Amino acid sequence: MYEIRFHGRGGQGAVMAAQTLADAAVRIGFQAQAFPYFGAERRGAPVEAYARIDTAKIRTKSQVYRPHLVVIMDASLLELEGPASGLRPDGKVVMNVAQRPEELDLGAGVDAECGTVDASSIALETLKMPVVNTAMLGAVAKVWNVVPLDAILEAIEDRFGGKLGRRAGMLNAEAARRAYEATVVGRTQGKREYVQPKRWLPVWDEIPIGVSLRKTAHVEEEVGPATTYQHHTGRWKWSTPLYKKDKCIRCLRCWWSCPDAAIVRQDDDYMRWDLEYCKGCGICADICPVEAIDMLQGARGTWQ
Amino acid sequence: MAVKTITGDQAVAYGAMLARAEVVPGFPITPQTVIIEQISEFINDGLMDADFIPAESEHSVMSVAVGASAGGVRTFTATSSQGLALMYEMLFAAAPTRLPVVMAVANRSLGAASGIWTEHNDSVPVRESGWLQVYVEDNQEALDMIIQAFRIAEDRRVMLPIMVCLDGFILSHVVEGVDIPEQAVVDRFLPRFAPVNVLDPRDPIMMNPVTPPEFATELRYQQDRAVEAARTVIGEADEEFAALTGRRYGGLFEAYRLEDAEFALIGLGTWAGIAREVVDQLRAEGKKAGLIKLRYMRPFPGQELRQATLNLKALGTFDRSAAFNGYGPVFTEVRNALYGSGITVTDHLAGIGGRDITAEMVRDMYGLVERSARGEKVRDCTWHALRGEME
Ligand code: SF4
Ligand code: SF4
Repeated sequence: MYEIRFHGRGGQGAVMAAQTLADAAVRIGFQAQAFPYFGAERRGAPVEAYARIDTAKIRTKSQVYRPHLVVIMDASLLELEGPASGLRPDGKVVMNVAQRPEELDLGAGVDAECGTVDASSIALETLKMPVVNTAMLGAVAKVWNVVPLDAILEAIEDRFGGKLGRRAGMLNAEAARRAYEATVVGRTQGKREYVQPKRWLPVWDEIPIGVSLRKTAHVEEEVGPATTYQHHTGRWKWSTPLYKKDKCIRCLRCWWSCPDAAIVRQDDDYMRWDLEYCKGCGICADICPVEAIDMLQGARGTWQ
Repeated sequence: MAVKTITGDQAVAYGAMLARAEVVPGFPITPQTVIIEQISEFINDGLMDADFIPAESEHSVMSVAVGASAGGVRTFTATSSQGLALMYEMLFAAAPTRLPVVMAVANRSLGAASGIWTEHNDSVPVRESGWLQVYVEDNQEALDMIIQAFRIAEDRRVMLPIMVCLDGFILSHVVEGVDIPEQAVVDRFLPRFAPVNVLDPRDPIMMNPVTPPEFATELRYQQDRAVEAARTVIGEADEEFAALTGRRYGGLFEAYRLEDAEFALIGLGTWAGIAREVVDQLRAEGKKAGLIKLRYMRPFPGQELRQATLNLKALGTFDRSAAFNGYGPVFTEVRNALYGSGITVTDHLAGIGGRDITAEMVRDMYGLVERSARGEKVRDCTWHALRGEME
C-alpha cells in the first residue's frame, strides 16, 4: 500500500488534490481512498489530506503517519511544523517552491528524492488564481511513478470539469501539464531541528470545567482549543491586505467583517491591521465598497 | 407551613419561586403551559423576583436558558414533548458547558400520531444529552424536587442541568394538597447560586470553544465523572431535605416493601402510586411482592439496584414508552445493570400515548412477574392491554 500526505492551506485545494490522485489511481485499476483533516477554521489554516493507493481493498481509515509521498503545497508551512515528518526511508517529497531540491531543508533526518516546482506562478498564469492543487499533481506525476500523468490529467479534467465547467477542467489539466514539465527532480537533505510547539494537552481533570478558558489560562506558547490568543493566525497567510487610507470612507464594513478581529478601529474611525492575526483571507478587501484595500501576495509585516 | 390544593404544574411553579429562580424563559406547550403561566403571575404579583422571557420557540427558550445560566443567574424553564424535541440541539450545549439549568418536563407523547397525553417518549430518549433526569410521583414531590434539583445541579461536584419529569395531565393537571415549605427553610437548604464560570465582559472567558479531537475525550470523561458524582450529591440532598421538611424520597430510587420480596416491578412516574396499591393487595393475599420506584434515569442507579435486588427471583420493568427493537428503555437500562445476577427480568409496556393505567393492568404485570419468579417462561416483553394477539 502507498500512503500519501498533502500539506496545504485552506483554499489551496489540498483536499481536491488528494481526491483527484485517488481518482486517477482508480482509473488505472488501483483501489484508493482520500480524505481530509482540518479544523473549523477557514481559508489559510493549515490543512492535511491523505490518500492511500493499493492493489487490494483498503480497510484502514486512520490518518497517514508514515507516508511514501509528501506533497507540500505551501512553502510557509515549513516554518510551522515538519511537514515531511514520518517520511519513509525511500519516501519522496514534492514541494511548491521556486528553489531547487538541493537548496531545501525539510528538517533533520529527511534525506529524500524531491521534486520542486513554482506551482504558485503556474497557477496564477494558467488559472489566474493561487490554487495550486492541480499543478502539484503534475509535479507528483514527474517525481512518483505509481500514477502516470495521463491518468492524472484525465481525473483532473473529469473532476474539475464536472464541478467548474469544461473550460476550467482543461485549464487545470494545463496547469498540471506545465508543472510536470517545469518540475526539477533532485535530492534534499535536511538539517534543521524542528522545535515542536508546546501543546497544551491536559489530563481530564485539568481542563477547566466546561472548557471555560481565560486569556491567561495557559503558559505562553502553549496552545489550547481554539485559543486564537496563542494561535497566531497571521502565520497562515499567503496574502496580505494593503490599506489605502486616503481612499477609505470609514464605513466600518471591513472592521466588522473580519473573521479574526484583526482590524482595529481607531478613535477617528480609520483602521489599523494587526497582521499577527490577519490570516489573509481577503474578506475585508472583498467587502470594501471603495477598493481601499488591496490584497498583495505573500505575508508581510506585523502591523500597518 | 401552608397546605394548598394545587395542580402538579402549579406545584412546580411554587418550587421555582421558592428556589428563587432569577430568569425563566418560556414558550407555551400543553401540558406544561400552566407552569410558565403561574410563574409569570407570581412575577406580575410581585411574589417572585425574576425575569420572564417569552421566546419565539423552544429552541430559543433553551438558548436563552444557556445564556442566562452562563451569565451566572439561577435559571428555570419548563417544556413538554415537541417542545423538548425542538430544544434538542441546545440540550447538548447546556450540559457540556456545565450550566445548572433546571427544567420541568411535563411528559407528553411525542410526534405522530399526535397526542397531548402522557408518555415518556419525550424525555427518556434524551437521557444521553448529559442532563440529569428525575421522575416524580405526586405534586408534593414535584414541588420538592424543583428545589432539590437546583441544589443538586449547582453543587460544585456536579454542575449539570437537570430535568424534573412529571406525567402530563395525570400529574400536571391533578390537584392535590401540597405542603408549601417556608421560604426560610428553602433558603437554608438552597444557598445562593455560586457559578463556577460567568460570562462577564470585564473578565472575558471563552466557554466551550471549538474542541478538537485531542480534547474531546477528556472533556466527555469529565462530564461522565460529574454525572457519577451526582449519585452522592443526590443522596446528601435527600437526607438534608428530609431533616428540614420531614420528607424523604430515597434518592436514586425508592424501595417499597422490598426487603423480603420475591418478585417486584420497577418503573417511572405516577405509575408507582398505583403499583403501591397493588403491592399492598398482593401482600394481603400473602404474596411476596415489592416495588422499586425508579426516580433517576441519569444518573442511572445500576450498582445500587444490584444491591437492592439481591434477594429477588424476578423483576419486571414498567415502560411508558416503546423502543422499537423489542424492549422499552427502562428494561434496557435495568437488565444491563442486573446482567449476570441471575434475576429474570421481563418488560411490561403500558400507558402508551396516555392510555389509562388501571390497577388491573398492574396486577397483570405482577402476575406475569410472579410466574417468572416461579421459573415459568413468560414473554420477555409484554404490551399490556394491547388489542389483538402479540406475535
Ligand atoms: S484583515 Fe482582512 S484579510 Fe485579514 S483576516 Fe481580516 S478580513 Fe481577512
Ligand atoms: S471597508 Fe473600506 S472604506 Fe470601509 S472602513 Fe474598511 S477600508 Fe474603509
